[in-house]
Amino acid sequence: MRLADARALVPDLITTAGEPQADQRLVETIANWCDRYTPWVAIDPLGGALAEEGAEACSAGGFGGDAGLLLDVTGCAHLFGPDEAGERALLADLVARLARHDFTCRAAMADTAGAAWALARYAERQADLFCPRHGQRTALAALPVEGLRLDAPILETFVKLGLRRIGDLYPLPRAPLTRRFGDLPLIRLDQALGVRDEVLEPQRPAPAFRTRLAFVEPIGRAEDIAAATSRLLAALCRQFEQAGVGARKLEISLYRVDGSVDRTAIGTSRPNRDNPKLMKLFEEKLGELDPGFGVELMILAAPEVETWSGTQDVLPEAGALALSLGSDGTVDLADRLALRLGPENVVRLLPRDSHLPERVQVAATVSIKPAADGAWRRLAGLKGARPTRLLQRPEPVDVTAFVPDDPPSVFHWRRHAHRIVRADGPERIADEWWRPRPDGSRPPANTVPPVRDYYRVEDDDGGRFWLFRDGPYTVAANGRPTARWFLHGFCA
Amino acid sequence: MSIISPSAFAPPVASRVAAPQAANDPAAASAPTSLREKVRRLERAHSVQRAGHAAVPTGLPAIDALLPEGGLLTGALHEVEAGAAPSGRVAAHDGAALGFAAHLMGRFAARTPGTLLWCRRPSGVFDAPPYAPALAAWFDPARLLVVTARRDEDVFWAMEEGLRCPGIAAVLGETRAADATAGRRLSLAAEKSGVPALLLRPQPAPPQSVCVTRWRIASAPSRSTPGLHDIGAPRWRLELRRNRFGAPSTAEIPSWLVEWNDETHCLAVVSETLHGSTGARFEESLFEERMVS
Repeated sequence: MRLADARALVPDLITTAGEPQADQRLVETIANWCDRYTPWVAIDPLGGALAEEGAEACSAGGFGGDAGLLLDVTGCAHLFGPDEAGERALLADLVARLARHDFTCRAAMADTAGAAWALARYAERQADLFCPRHGQRTALAALPVEGLRLDAPILETFVKLGLRRIGDLYPLPRAPLTRRFGDLPLIRLDQALGVRDEVLEPQRPAPAFRTRLAFVEPIGRAEDIAAATSRLLAALCRQFEQAGVGARKLEISLYRVDGSVDRTAIGTSRPNRDNPKLMKLFEEKLGELDPGFGVELMILAAPEVETWSGTQDVLPEAGALALSLGSDGTVDLADRLALRLGPENVVRLLPRDSHLPERVQVAATVSIKPAADGAWRRLAGLKGARPTRLLQRPEPVDVTAFVPDDPPSVFHWRRHAHRIVRADGPERIADEWWRPRPDGSRPPANTVPPVRDYYRVEDDDGGRFWLFRDGPYTVAANGRPTARWFLHGFCA
Repeated sequence: MSIISPSAFAPPVASRVAAPQAANDPAAASAPTSLREKVRRLERAHSVQRAGHAAVPTGLPAIDALLPEGGLLTGALHEVEAGAAPSGRVAAHDGAALGFAAHLMGRFAARTPGTLLWCRRPSGVFDAPPYAPALAAWFDPARLLVVTARRDEDVFWAMEEGLRCPGIAAVLGETRAADATAGRRLSLAAEKSGVPALLLRPQPAPPQSVCVTRWRIASAPSRSTPGLHDIGAPRWRLELRRNRFGAPSTAEIPSWLVEWNDETHCLAVVSETLHGSTGARFEESLFEERMVS
């Protein structure tokens, strides 16, 4: 149903934008929370597949409406009670706890994941949600065929053939069914009935990378702390090697004898597990740490790790990347600079295809891949003459122009008059109407977007400037022109 | 089989070492020009020859003839400052100075692959960072690593770190501060690694004695198409205010009028008598006469 149709039916309908990624994060959070029942928690893979297809799918499935979690509680239910009573208690506990967090959920328990999936979605009575041992064949017989986790075309054909219940499939000969519909219906049926194995892929928590070092006697000297850091780092780098990752962020915590904690962190622009290089980064920061009356415990943790990409000079494309920024120590240089000056102050420039001069140049942190060879030159070729310096914020200027659409003859900037001798222009640059405004609103339709007329001017002294008039020339009621002039850059 | 004479083993420095022997000649020592020449040779032998750094031509033969080794020495500190703005105008020549500095960076960048480090300290009142679409005329801005620092010490520190890094092709620092100690540190670091360093100043600074060359750039009026008032190719007034190790010039401060051609991407010296302001006016009057007749 479209939104307009829905609004026609229910005028005061409350609508919110769909956020599949936020939904996915929520489902992942709940999956992690379910660790209290079993370590083997999987997010229903079908939910994810449906969510990717588009907004339409969300009403039928996906993370928005039909998210599912599969918990393998084999060997866990006895903690809640003996045998079947324990399983029922676990199920009731799960539903009650989730309800306490305002989540509406339907949970079913069965011998197989497929049967539980079908029961949770299509069971008509509350009592049916718990399927006793080996009872899935009878429990599923009355459920609709949608409970078999099949694609929509197969289900439609089933319904056309009069196969409405899962039980209708039991007596059918298997070979013709496979020839008609492929393997999938029988695989799903066998999985639900427990004839065929089904593997759940558990959602595993990210392994924590941390090492700790406790001291018998509290330490306080800077050299001791540096030596301890180096030992912790060596141990952590071994962990990285085993896991095949590199650190993006490392945090060291000093637990002082008086119970207080001092922390400092370093960041790298690429996954790094090079012990000496990381130690060099730490050396800059260790001076900031205050050991106080002594340190009795140090913990080095890596809150952010990424898959180790290794040395990248094997592939030709990666070789070019490494040349522009990489194996020659530039990355380490960028890390050192970013550590002292802040990561936002060490940037490379990426081109952006935009009309607006201030949006063309994007500052990106070093970890982002640099622009392709010649991308800038192509972009610059498309634009007209541009200033070598662009003011971050255009400066208002007072101008005198003899004819409204002519370049100004004099402009005053910072209390000095510049008499204009030569000028190029105008170059009209219109606002990008397809982009929302800075405040988030969209420009109204059917209106002329604001335009800027740019002029390159040269004053009598030879200085070249880039001026623009904000908006077309119009005259207000009091006879004064409404458009304002700005200085936007200095040309070569 | 070839016969190698013993003199073939002598390093090229040997010819420089011969200079002090000439000093024993009283006639030569009495002449101040020859003495100056000797000192220059000694300095050069001491600093440049030892490091063995190459020079990158600026692309202007008339200027390269004055520079040591026929170009800007790599592994040295060079300074580019904007000319003094008349009557206190702000940033009148800043765009031109940046253009020339970018031209030099482009020459250095063409010599070696690697990242170009651009360290800057934003001026307080209005901040105008370099604009990559214009810089693309001189070098590929994708190679640029832009560092913004709040203090001048951090600019110098970042430059020094960059000069020590093997993956850096050239380092540029934008700052108003004139710090002799920092300058000396920078030129030592540059000499050691062979990476060229540039200092770009938005206004003239008190001269320091550490840099190898110091340039002062001012925008010059461009040449319109006759009969029109459009802006021609950018023109700059170039002054070579310091030229250590270089050949002496006849003028006190050698100065040129140069023009940047945006289509051919090259810099050329413009003859002032012919194409200067008077020349342009002369041509314009010719054009007008033709129109009248």
